[in-house]
Amino acid sequence: MKLYKKEGNILQVLSFPNESAEKGDYLLVEDSEAGKALIVQVIDVQFASVPGVLEELLRSLPDGGEVVQGEDFDPLEIAPHITYIQDASLLVCKIRATVENDNLSPSSPWLPSRSQSAIKKLSVPTLLKLARVDGKLPIVLGGTKDASLLTIDASALDGGLNIISGKKGTGKSHLSKLLMLNLVGYKATVVVFDLNGEYLSLGMTGDGKRNGYYDKVHVLAPGQNFKVALKQLNLHVVLGILVHALHLPGTSAREFRRVWKSLQEKDMLTLHNLGEAIRDWNCNQHVRDALASRFYALVNSGFFTDNVAEAAALEDCIFKAKEHGGAVVVNLRNTGAIDRQIVVEYVLGKLVELLTAWKLKAAFLFAEEAHLYLRETYWDDIVTRMRHLGIFTTFVTNQPDTIKENIYRQADNIFLFNFTNEHDLDVVSRAARVDVETVKSIARDLAPHYCLVLGRVVRDFPMVAKVKALDVKTMGETRLFFGEAA
Amino acid sequence: MDTILPRRFIETSLQSLTCSQVKTIQLNQQDFQQAFNIESHTQAARFRMPPISLKPRLAETTVAAVDTSTMKIGETSSGILLAVRGTTVWRQNRNYRYTRLGPFIFHITEENKQEVYISLEKAYFDSPLCKNNYGSPSLLQMPTRIACLLERWLQLMLAKTLNEGIVLLDGSLTAGTPDTPIHFLKDILSAARSRGSTVLAFSKMTTLRVNGRLITDLPFEHKPPFLIGMDGLKSKPPTVLLGDVYVAKLAHGNYAFRLDIDREVIFEHRIWSIEKLLVNDALSQGYPETLRLAHILCTFTANEVIAMQHFAVRRHGFRLVSRPDMHSVLFGPFSRGEVCS
Repeated sequence: MKLYKKEGNILQVLSFPNESAEKGDYLLVEDSEAGKALIVQVIDVQFASVPGVLEELLRSLPDGGEVVQGEDFDPLEIAPHITYIQDASLLVCKIRATVENDNLSPSSPWLPSRSQSAIKKLSVPTLLKLARVDGKLPIVLGGTKDASLLTIDASALDGGLNIISGKKGTGKSHLSKLLMLNLVGYKATVVVFDLNGEYLSLGMTGDGKRNGYYDKVHVLAPGQNFKVALKQLNLHVVLGILVHALHLPGTSAREFRRVWKSLQEKDMLTLHNLGEAIRDWNCNQHVRDALASRFYALVNSGFFTDNVAEAAALEDCIFKAKEHGGAVVVNLRNTGAIDRQIVVEYVLGKLVELLTAWKLKAAFLFAEEAHLYLRETYWDDIVTRMRHLGIFTTFVTNQPDTIKENIYRQADNIFLFNFTNEHDLDVVSRAARVDVETVKSIARDLAPHYCLVLGRVVRDFPMVAKVKALDVKTMGETRLFFGEAA
Repeated sequence: MDTILPRRFIETSLQSLTCSQVKTIQLNQQDFQQAFNIESHTQAARFRMPPISLKPRLAETTVAAVDTSTMKIGETSSGILLAVRGTTVWRQNRNYRYTRLGPFIFHITEENKQEVYISLEKAYFDSPLCKNNYGSPSLLQMPTRIACLLERWLQLMLAKTLNEGIVLLDGSLTAGTPDTPIHFLKDILSAARSRGSTVLAFSKMTTLRVNGRLITDLPFEHKPPFLIGMDGLKSKPPTVLLGDVYVAKLAHGNYAFRLDIDREVIFEHRIWSIEKLLVNDALSQGYPETLRLAHILCTFTANEVIAMQHFAVRRHGFRLVSRPDMHSVLFGPFSRGEVCS
């Protein structure tokens, strides 16, 4: 390989057919005289602009599009040399760092010698070692192209905001489960908003037996084993549900506050009493109607109960998870749109309450297709206030434009699967920790289950890995009419 | 088929590369792929009027053409590295096919040029009586002289193997030059005649003039395809014209070409041959496609030149050195005209 050109932080390297390098590979451009080296990543592979190639191609097709047949007597065997030159490729590389005395610096203010620099491939383990991507809490994400393992540290997910995105069927949920189970393995508390019921059987192996996570995965189905008694609720949680999920106007919310406090003072907070109180409350008829309609929405959700015995699920599960590590999976599969928002409002409100009271140190939240249940104002809340309280969110989506731009800008880690749509790639490339060229070039060519990892977990050295298989019972597969026979 | 010459090409090529002591090559700054035609005629030419109208003659005939290319691919301190390649193309049953020989790479120095040339020439002239009397060429002439040897050998092989066909040559039928001794060309023409084939030589460029104007540039009012014979052409000794010269305009458009036809072929056969050519080959811009393909297939592309330099470096230990082009250094942007001239 030969150094050809440098423009900004793009380096062009000439590579010959026997020196295979692909998108995503890392190269070390070593200038021994300068005592420094550049770490660059191949973001595109192009044909080298070899003079005469066009003529070569044209003369093989001069007969109205038909190839002229013939024999070549090439006694000196020049043809392999011609092919060798013709197949030379140009590796467009992004400069990632400078190595000097085994220390990495992200800048590259120097220019390596074009004639003297030696260029060689940099294996992932060597790079990980150089970048000091190690730690005490390893999570093996999968295998890299050079048959080594890509291991990240769980602590790099701690306190961060993560995004897992990619086209349908590329393996997003699989990675999300892998991260989640590893976090649970390190005794973390994880809460999952499971929109499609994909996380329900994480405690089972592929053949249906119990695995090591069986006792650590707590599935809560709203309206079934997950109900809430009004007595357990804080007023601000209920108001959150009414205002944000059920769109109760401000005047009516003020009136509700009075009704709630009145019942609370009398220790009469039940659904029945709340209904009665709204009906008999002395207020404007429109306000009463508004309160009544919201009350019936709460009742019809089936999520609220007067029976305290069946209503302690969430807190119990969280405390169990807190002790030994565990995941609380909130199954939203069979929940309607409004009820889903009610449940999410409640769970998030409860989490904030527990974190504020220091009953819980921190929690990792996995939110699949969050735009379907997360209200507008929560996006900002999640990256600012909730993050400081200790809710570290991982958004999982196949529609990257549903996540707000400021979320991308503040994302600490991005796990990107294949995207071919230019618009989707544009959206993802807004993230502060990635560059547009890398995302557009590499993500477009990722095979299913291959993930481009960007951000803190890889010390800002974008890496591609095939996400390793999990021996858990898969759920949430798309139901097919024709099945496999088709 | 006599394969002594190509075998000798391989041996001599390898020997010249292997025996070389100087292993540093400077990248080439100028090249020449095609030999220039030497036209040594007294300029008293005139047209034989009226033009001969041609009618396509429907008779299945094989059309074959030969062309060679040579290129200096680098300079060493003691000589030059040159490459030679030859191509034969023929059209049969509406399909074009080709045979390409080479490239052969030679390292020619003042010391070995005589040995190389004599060795190749000897392979061509197996009879000592037929020896070329011009001696070994200068270093600068070596590329074209070696290419000419290969070209004449390819033409001879074609003439000896093609039955009742049309043999197309690039250039004229002028012999007696250092590149083309008379018996070279005579052998080719007689071999073709003995098999019922006709040799037609097309010149892309000519210096022949009538009334001060190039013969191919004159405005002809006759409707193509037609031929106009030329009279009054006398070659300067020692050159000999072995063909009759015509201006051929075989298709509509602006282009006419000098066409030499074997003088020993009777007039009717000459006309029939051209009329058969009209049917059996594509004539884009009045130039036979077979000949055009022969040229295209033997020409070296820039990519091939790099590959041959790569071969010299990898296989024979030459080292590429890019010395500054003195024209560019001295004359800057004004150097271009000088290089081209």
